[in-house]
Amino acid sequence: MNRGWMTRSMLLAVGLVLIVALVSLSGCGKKAEVETDPAVGAGEPTEEVPPPPVAEEPEVVVDEGPDYPNLDPADYGVQDVYFGFDQYDLDDESMGLLSRNARVMKEAGVVILISGHCDERGTIEYNLALGEKRARAVRDYLVSLGVSAGQLKITSYGESKPFAKGNNEDAWAINRRAHFERP
Amino acid sequence: MSLSSRCILALAVVFAVLPGLALAQGRNSEVVIEHTREAYTKTDVLINELDVLAGGVASADAAITMSSVVANDLRLSGLFRVGHSEGEADSLEFEFTIEGTVEGPLRDADQTGENGPITISLNLLSYPQRQLLMNKRYRPLPSQMRATAHHFSNEVIHWLSGEAGMCLSRIVFSRGSGDRRDLYVVDYDGEGLLRLTANRELNLCPSWSPDGSEIAFTSYRRGQQGLFSLNTSNGKVRSIIAMDGLNYGADWHPDGKELLLALSQSGNPEIYRISPQGKILKRLTVSKAIEISPSWSPGGRDLVFTSDRTGTPQLYIIDSDGAGRRRLTFEGRYNDSAVWSPNGDQIVYATRVGNYTQIVVMKSTGEDRRVLTDGRWRNSEDPGWAPDGRHIVFASDRSGVFKLYVFDIVEDSFRQLTFGNDPDITPAWSH
Repeated sequence: MNRGWMTRSMLLAVGLVLIVALVSLSGCGKKAEVETDPAVGAGEPTEEVPPPPVAEEPEVVVDEGPDYPNLDPADYGVQDVYFGFDQYDLDDESMGLLSRNARVMKEAGVVILISGHCDERGTIEYNLALGEKRARAVRDYLVSLGVSAGQLKITSYGESKPFAKGNNEDAWAINRRAHFERP
Repeated sequence: MSLSSRCILALAVVFAVLPGLALAQGRNSEVVIEHTREAYTKTDVLINELDVLAGGVASADAAITMSSVVANDLRLSGLFRVGHSEGEADSLEFEFTIEGTVEGPLRDADQTGENGPITISLNLLSYPQRQLLMNKRYRPLPSQMRATAHHFSNEVIHWLSGEAGMCLSRIVFSRGSGDRRDLYVVDYDGEGLLRLTANRELNLCPSWSPDGSEIAFTSYRRGQQGLFSLNTSNGKVRSIIAMDGLNYGADWHPDGKELLLALSQSGNPEIYRISPQGKILKRLTVSKAIEISPSWSPGGRDLVFTSDRTGTPQLYIIDSDGAGRRRLTFEGRYNDSAVWSPNGDQIVYATRVGNYTQIVVMKSTGEDRRVLTDGRWRNSEDPGWAPDGRHIVFASDRSGVFKLYVFDIVEDSFRQLTFGNDPDITPAWSH
């Protein structure tokens, strides 16, 4: 997260310097006009800007931060949320986790698919509905935290895509979740 | 017949005392007797080998295929016991006999003429009088031999019982694991397995159109559900509807002109009637609860579906306008996946007992509830009716992986329909 912020401010700095440099270059070529143009003249004299220090490290410009659209949300720190048996409500732990997810998602700004999953108990059909309830509960909470609704799609796989195999509570608990993925 | 039937019945009861026998795997054609619920009678039929009048290897193969497929069909109907020689007259009381002739092209196996049509004549006669009751003649290609045998079996079953045979019916289901499951179809006797989709997606919950020309099913595109239709003659898939959220649980109306479907576009799943082109005709349920898994009554006037409006999933019936809601199940805290029987008098569904899902059959009034599967079955889900109203197909993981089983609700016997290591789920039997 911090790395993203730093990258963004660095980019901003580089961009600003480049713009200023361009303006000063054009100013050099048409100095007479600049002095008579009130719009340009309103700005501070460009000559006072110090030479860009980052110009010696052009490779920084290439680093544009995480390639969010091509990463799985887990790669940039979005964590799955787990549910109780037959439940789709969010407990305190889930809400805390979703607050952290919300911050990351807002920064990433890409569309994310929230898929609801269930353990193997119960029927295919009811689990598809239950899985969607889970995905929807997560989506609604993220939207309440300020994540754009247009950024969040939901779906349900019910019990069809288990994360862990096995007929025991350990496996079941791992499989009752809302998972975040690239659409 | 009655005397020998009683003997067999006594034998079956003895078998029931030995639980180990029930676990013996019946490969394809064998019926495993679990226990005998009530007295039933069967008709004994003697099936003789067909005479090969002319032809090469294909004709000899045809003769064997015809008699073995017909014998298996008659057994699987549950209505007959089959013998293959008069010597079995000690244990079986034959009332009828089937015999016939095969006449193929007079060419060697390595010549093209061998693949031409074969003339088959089949007779149903009384036994031992040998009075001709029915004669059928066919001219199938060698590749059509099983279908020809099934056709003849249907004729025999109809002639002898008055019931329409199901020997040409098929079961469509979803096979695979994770997010890749494809639709497959298999003949009702477990033969002729065919893969229908190959789109690297999750394909689920198929439903046959009444004439068998289309299969509606749910699939995913970019993670989102939609309802699609597969043309069974050319294999082409078209999109029916893809609303936001869930689009699943399709059930074709008996008239073929519309379908029931659960859509969650309103925020939670509700039951809708839609046209085969995907136009929403009517929304039938309005609630904040999960309302899913609709199934038409055979007349298409009412439907049974699942709602968890009381806090647990239970079965309800409404009419085709969404009116007249009445609750059908009060026993069990988790009831789902109801399907109405072909003649309307029964409903089969899945109920949860402990950690397992089991199959229940009851009258469509809600009376005479009977759990068909027990703990040995582990999970049994997604039941569907055979067209004869006597057999039920469902998926069970009793072997460790979900496979399909056919259960005879009159005898409480069953057979395994599909084999292999990939899970098979959501079967639907053609009409």
